[in-house]
Amino acid sequence: MMKRLVIVSSLLLLVLAAAPVQAATPLETVQAEVNKVLEVLRNKSLKEEVKRETLRVIYSEMFDQEELSKWCLGRNWNKLSEAQRKEFLPLFQQVLEKTYGDRILAYSDEKIVFDKEVPIANNRVEVQTRAITKSKQIPMNYRVFKDKSGTWKCYDIVVENVSLVMNYRSQFNEILAKGTPDELLEILRKKVKGQKA
Amino acid sequence: MKFLPLALALFASTLVGCAHGPQAVSAPTPGGEMPLPATPAVASYSLEQPSAFLQLAKDEAASPATADAPGEKAEGDEDDFDYGTDDVPAAEQVTIADPWEPFNRAMFTFNDRLYFWVLKPVAEGYSAVLPEPARVSVGNFFSNLRAPVRFVNCVLQANLIGASTELFRFMLNSTIGLAGLFDPAGGEEIGLLRQDEDFGQTLGSYGVGQGFYIVWPFLGPSSPRDTVGMIGDYFSYPISYLDPWYVWTAVRGYQAINDTSLQIGDYEAIKEAAIDPYLSVRNAYIQYRQKKVEEKGGTILKSEPDIPGAGTPARGVGTEAAPQK
Repeated sequence: MMKRLVIVSSLLLLVLAAAPVQAATPLETVQAEVNKVLEVLRNKSLKEEVKRETLRVIYSEMFDQEELSKWCLGRNWNKLSEAQRKEFLPLFQQVLEKTYGDRILAYSDEKIVFDKEVPIANNRVEVQTRAITKSKQIPMNYRVFKDKSGTWKCYDIVVENVSLVMNYRSQFNEILAKGTPDELLEILRKKVKGQKA
Repeated sequence: MKFLPLALALFASTLVGCAHGPQAVSAPTPGGEMPLPATPAVASYSLEQPSAFLQLAKDEAASPATADAPGEKAEGDEDDFDYGTDDVPAAEQVTIADPWEPFNRAMFTFNDRLYFWVLKPVAEGYSAVLPEPARVSVGNFFSNLRAPVRFVNCVLQANLIGASTELFRFMLNSTIGLAGLFDPAGGEEIGLLRQDEDFGQTLGSYGVGQGFYIVWPFLGPSSPRDTVGMIGDYFSYPISYLDPWYVWTAVRGYQAINDTSLQIGDYEAIKEAAIDPYLSVRNAYIQYRQKKVEEKGGTILKSEPDIPGAGTPARGVGTEAAPQK
């Protein structure tokens, strides 16, 4: 009985997480998304390309690319024109999807422990998790915010205490201190091209 | 022109070396105006003490509460939220001066080649011969031998819980852990986790700033502080006393290969994700080290109360540990 309840409720959670739901807590949202990722990774019958495609869909559900990009660029976001922003978003998304895909496809046998939620600010929460591998524990914290539809979306991941957003910001800051937004876009275009090859 | 001070501060920080104390930033006062960073001309380099010039990409004020004046932005940004650094933890905002950048970039390339041309192929061959559990055990063995380093640094940071944790870990793992090949002390039943303390962190907890960024050949990212730290730790690491020198070299080399074999793919992923790998690694290094210094002694207690500023001396142990100003 208990078991069935757990199964039913976890199934419900999966279904519900797909649609924007007000009630899901940040931790539940992140957990549902991460579990979907793990399910894909552990499914041996899927081909790598199918896996990659599925992961891409989950990624865009889980992350808010615009919010994440704004965090990565910080004040530099204002330096970009509307057209430049339009080009920046998908380019940067492709870079992230590729690396996120590569990285995550290499794993399968880890256990993820969902520890707790820590509020950061108004409408922003950090969900703290740990990936437990054979040789160590890696703290991975997801920072989420409530978007306009009321869904919790990721805008930063902090792996082993290193914030992805702040890491990118340091790079963009330096590149934009010396060069123009157009030059940054050119670097990104080249990078995406190189990744496809 | 709102970002001019920021651009200036960043520019100055790349030009002028500047030390970082472990307390890189004070908590932002909600709603209040942030003090602007000192003018670049005043920024001075000092290795011994954390500078008052907070070398952070810190913006002037604009907490969410005060940011609802879109009219002042000439750019006509539709957002009423400022993606500044107000509630990003200080450790993640830390930057570092890099006056040796040309040298460092050369060394970065050297280490990159060393990894891809030598270390990685050798580690892959080694992995093919020795299965992962065995390599994890080899890693545990070396890690157990490093216990004196961690113990000494816990003591130096007056982190008595950490020091005794390391002591018990060493006793347990050296005996029932079969000379350190296994880590029963760190298992779920006992839960004595390894205290990754080193002398660089100890110096950091005394208030010594990183100084500037250095990439050493073979050894990788570092700073004057962490270099002194590495030398200090050398003396409390038993392997260092192996004699003659070629035995020491061989053992250290083997250790490097074993470590690498357990982390293949990590560096590649960081590099692949980066827009400029050199900048990405530099930033990851200082963020990581800064957090390590701040959370000193904070790894054992699993459920700690959410006290703002936890991880600083308010731990109860070691009140004299870190002169934090």
